[in-house]
Amino acid sequence: MKKSTAEDSRSHKAQVVVDRLGEKLNRQIVGSLVACVHCGLCTDSCHYVLSNPGDPTYAPAYKADRIRKIFKRHYDWTGRVFPWLVGAETIMTDEELEELKDIAFGKCTNCRRCSLNCPMGVDFATVNRMTRGLLVSVGIMPEGVATVSKDQWEIGNQMGVLKEDYLETLEWMEEELQDELDDPSARIPVDKRDCAVVYSINPREAKYDPRTIGDAAKIFHAAGEDWTMPSDGWDMTNFGLFSGDDELGGAVARHLFDRVQELGGKKLVISECGHGYRSTRCEAPNWAKYDVPFEMESSVETMLRYVKEGRIKLDKTRNSEPVTFHDSCNLARSCGMTEEPRELLNLVCTDFREMYPNREENYCCTGGGGAMSMSEYTPRRLKSGKIKAEQLKATGAKVVVTSCHNCVDGLTDVIRHYELDMKVTQLVNLVAEALVIEKPARAPAVAEELPLAGRRIVVADDEPDQLLYLATVMEDYGATVYQAATGDEALELARKEKPDLVTLDLSMPGRPVTEIFELLRSDSELEGLKICLITGRPEMRELIYQRMEIPPDGYLDKPLSEDDLLRGVRKVLELSHQEG
Amino acid sequence: MPEFQVGDITLEIDEDGFIQEPDAWDEAVAKALAKTEGVDELTEEHWKLVNYLRDYYLEFGIAPMIRKLCKATGFKLKKVYELFPSGPAKGACKVAGLPKPTGCV
Repeated sequence: MKKSTAEDSRSHKAQVVVDRLGEKLNRQIVGSLVACVHCGLCTDSCHYVLSNPGDPTYAPAYKADRIRKIFKRHYDWTGRVFPWLVGAETIMTDEELEELKDIAFGKCTNCRRCSLNCPMGVDFATVNRMTRGLLVSVGIMPEGVATVSKDQWEIGNQMGVLKEDYLETLEWMEEELQDELDDPSARIPVDKRDCAVVYSINPREAKYDPRTIGDAAKIFHAAGEDWTMPSDGWDMTNFGLFSGDDELGGAVARHLFDRVQELGGKKLVISECGHGYRSTRCEAPNWAKYDVPFEMESSVETMLRYVKEGRIKLDKTRNSEPVTFHDSCNLARSCGMTEEPRELLNLVCTDFREMYPNREENYCCTGGGGAMSMSEYTPRRLKSGKIKAEQLKATGAKVVVTSCHNCVDGLTDVIRHYELDMKVTQLVNLVAEALVIEKPARAPAVAEELPLAGRRIVVADDEPDQLLYLATVMEDYGATVYQAATGDEALELARKEKPDLVTLDLSMPGRPVTEIFELLRSDSELEGLKICLITGRPEMRELIYQRMEIPPDGYLDKPLSEDDLLRGVRKVLELSHQEG
Repeated sequence: MPEFQVGDITLEIDEDGFIQEPDAWDEAVAKALAKTEGVDELTEEHWKLVNYLRDYYLEFGIAPMIRKLCKATGFKLKKVYELFPSGPAKGACKVAGLPKPTGCV
């Protein structure tokens, strides 16, 4: 084809964008690009427009026209025949691409509210995502999008969380949970094979706010679920959705899908994240060209299922503040998940109030489409939150619940900016709060059965750490412990408390321990007292065993594990002098 | 780019209020940034957290995992949120003069 002089002077990047646009065209895109009749219905459906009345550049039809004109000029016959009539226009410079970036990333969150309200079926959000993808393919994108995409490509999760840090965080949450429930069987199993549920999360949960991981683990534990978290491929978020880069989208999802397959998981459960759910469940099988052989569900569905199946019990009076629900665009509008969260909310709190409009007609949190990682547009984003703030305020609720991490941050910013008295939380937090965990009835019985229950022991050691360790272990097993830092203190305590046992470190400051030992043995009031030597210098034992008195009832060598200590002490206590 | 005034110094901040020049950070800046995060007074506990974040950032160039933060300071997770209500990522990192965390936050 003969090229005009104008095309010769087109910048390289602009040429690539024009060419690649042709490759991106499919029925949905072309339909959306040709069908617009500029009726204006989309205008009133966009939260940017509603919060910025009088600025036509926010209108979805106007924004769409910026890419539509290129399509018409290069790929539609109408634009070739009478370009002036259909507004066909090419793109020549990098500056024009920057302008396109400002619209595609900075003036639309891809929330799809306009798509839903278009009588012609124009899906502007999909066109906008394609535009983003074209720009990203020539390296034009907000810095935040570039950073996050790079981390997802290179490290495998969008916050660059390293494997050991992730695993340590899971361990930590497991310990906290065990403490909270006083139940060592409450676990966060990692890489367990053939589980009913493989649980995937958003990296921000691990990096900054793991409370949701702990809460989810608590719920799985209470439900008696056979579940696991993968040590790798655990990030269910997908910046490919935001950047329009299908290759990234496919690579990220494949990582996750492969891992579930390797582990033989029956079902992939996706924590409360709008874009993560939409990407993983709905879009990624296409991006990755992957035939997913297992089921996938949102943790919202999982939690609701547990209640319905009677696997968990909830006490909703624990969540008594007025609560409203913010539908995430990706969950409600794009995936149709509108009723499950409401059903669960009514089971988990006492005062649930709808926000209007709601469900698939809800307004964007302002943080969609990756907007939270594009600081350059923050003032615009906050200004566009006016409609959201009004909507939130009208509910009179104190708590807004949302099943999306992006929405959590978007709403938090709106609440702060518009000074609303509200806090944001997720369903998993409410469910964990309301969870009724019946304490096993055996708990008090166990206390009585502790191996050292009722035993009174004087522990003497001059090393504070050692003393604390020995005392703590014995106390944990039920003993009453008196601590002494010198031999004289041990003697005094023994005379005063009449214990069952004195443990003596052999090298303590002050009077020699051999002498203390002698005094303990010769005290008529301490007949039957058991004495155990605990020393890190076994050669010193001779000093005592060579003496005339009845030898010690036993000895233990440091360092001592908890088990060895317990076994040793019990042995000493349970043997008589004669046998010793 | 917006600016932030602390005494005689003017600092560049990004649109989310994070300072752009980590080297320009000092105690006075931290105090002023804390006010923007709803923390009117920085107690010894606040400083412990802020100093850890800052040292970690200067050494590794990224914000630490919350696990590391809690382990090093001995604070419970709940405590961190009590000290900085907007959380470790936005509240504490901002006061410590770190850039805005990347990703879904």
